[in-house]
Amino acid sequence: MLSRTCSRNVVVGLSLRRALATEATTQTPGQPHENVGRVKKASKPGVSTSVILNRSPILTRPPTPFELAYYSYQARIRRSLHNPFPNDFYFKQGTLTETRFNIEERKRERLAFGPGFLEKEDISEEKRLANIAAVEQLAQQEGEGEELMPRTHAADVQGDVKSLDRRGHRNLYLLLHSVEGGKDVWRFPQGEAEKGLFLHQAAQKELHSACGDNMDAWIVGKTPVGVHKLQNTPSQDPASESEHVVFFFKAHIMAGQVIPTRESIKDFAWLTKEEIGDRVDQHYWDSIKDILSDY
Amino acid sequence: MASQVGRTASVTTTRHSLTRFQRPPRISRQIIKNPKTGLPQPPVKIVTREFAPCRLEDHYHTTLRDDLMYMTYTHEIGERPPPRQIRLKFDPNDPYTKHRHNPPVGGSQVGKKPAPPCTPENTVRLEKIQLHTMVKEAVQNKGQLLPAIMQMKALSGETFQGGGHHAVEGVQIVRGKKAVGGWVRPGIPIGVKVDLKGQAMYDFLGTLVEFVLPRIRDFNGVVLPPQSSSSNTPSTVSGVVSFGLPPNAIGFFPQIEVNVDAYPKLYGMHIHFVTNATGVGAQDKARALLSGFQIPFVRR
Repeated sequence: MLSRTCSRNVVVGLSLRRALATEATTQTPGQPHENVGRVKKASKPGVSTSVILNRSPILTRPPTPFELAYYSYQARIRRSLHNPFPNDFYFKQGTLTETRFNIEERKRERLAFGPGFLEKEDISEEKRLANIAAVEQLAQQEGEGEELMPRTHAADVQGDVKSLDRRGHRNLYLLLHSVEGGKDVWRFPQGEAEKGLFLHQAAQKELHSACGDNMDAWIVGKTPVGVHKLQNTPSQDPASESEHVVFFFKAHIMAGQVIPTRESIKDFAWLTKEEIGDRVDQHYWDSIKDILSDY
Repeated sequence: MASQVGRTASVTTTRHSLTRFQRPPRISRQIIKNPKTGLPQPPVKIVTREFAPCRLEDHYHTTLRDDLMYMTYTHEIGERPPPRQIRLKFDPNDPYTKHRHNPPVGGSQVGKKPAPPCTPENTVRLEKIQLHTMVKEAVQNKGQLLPAIMQMKALSGETFQGGGHHAVEGVQIVRGKKAVGGWVRPGIPIGVKVDLKGQAMYDFLGTLVEFVLPRIRDFNGVVLPPQSSSSNTPSTVSGVVSFGLPPNAIGFFPQIEVNVDAYPKLYGMHIHFVTNATGVGAQDKARALLSGFQIPFVRR
């Protein structure tokens, strides 16, 4: 509201000044107030809402080689400086759990300080093997040793950009491949804001109408997180040229998947920031690049 | 979990493994022994830092921080009004009233302190978690504090100046401040507390959210104050969220659960989540942050 009145005032002010200036220089007594009478009313800017639908990371970030070396170095320092472990507070003497802990602890010490660090256990070889066998049996009974899932999903291997499981440690964003005015463009789900709705409500409604009801999405906050001014296409009639702005809202997908419902939407993809940069045009990229996460 | 993460992402391009211990440095000089403890003293001051990637901290930086900035942002147009002119009740230069208690007219108005302008730098974040237990029986017999101290040690893993950090105080004993009708006397030990910061703080938070809260019976969430409650109290502008855990919930912490029989008694505790938020609406921001770490809040 405020900005609209401001822009109107600016237009009026400019045209008035120009009118005065032309009067001073050209001196046309026949039509003294020609320009003042034809002050062009600033047309209302069109408002669209767009949703940046985000899938947060589902895996921890893999550490860099430097981080890896740093962490293991720090863990080693910590291990060598820690207070003595109160064995008798945590374990009853001679129990299987104590044996297991001791075996595991020796393994960790060997990993941290090398094989020559530990003294040899003062128990017989048979006893040692018996201990190991007993601990293995305990592990089987407790159902340990379950295989961890691999960090790369099948979608990463196949290059399936529609899967929500791809690139687990990155932020992914939904990008739609749609046809606008005969042109193929990749952009975030976007639509005209309806009259009578708040912007964040309009964004939610638009998201569901474009991407289907088969997902659980939550719009973060009521304030837009970014704005994009559409480039005016050079048309013949300058009067029809009007400003059009797109307000971005951030949203999270909690469950479900996108099912495009419109004819104009050809395809969709869940992409990281760099992949988005490859697909959208430069003007759009300048508006969105600082909203997207580098991780 | 952290070590598994570290091991899977091993890098093999270098000649030596990045994570394995190579060869100890040769000890050329005799290591000095601490005369008090008899323990060998390293010739340099050693300080330990983070030893594993921290999942919740990463979650804060990748997801929560952006969301909280968007959710708690308040737009301000133009300059802020100048701060309130404080007028004291008595003229400080008047020799007759020089040593009188001289409060500002209209009170200190702590609860109306405006929040600082929203910037990306002061987005709400967790600064520390304080655990605190009061042991009533310790008034009669201070030996009763020992199980509580052991419990706090097991929960936090903090020791005095642990890891060479001089600011880490470990488990501290809380003493009475003033005399309360034949019950508390100044200086007597009546409780224990421990401050958690950094990695230890996030580890505790993760344990609380994943192992403890889901297993408490009839717990739907931390109860919010009623909507009619005043939003101008000092506690709402301090950015601290607190709640308590009953003694039976302490047994759900894996550190305690593993040998719960070793403790003669479990003590409930207060947990204070201290954030950097200040000013009007600070507690709401702090709750939004904790909610992002999956601590449930309900309104009754």
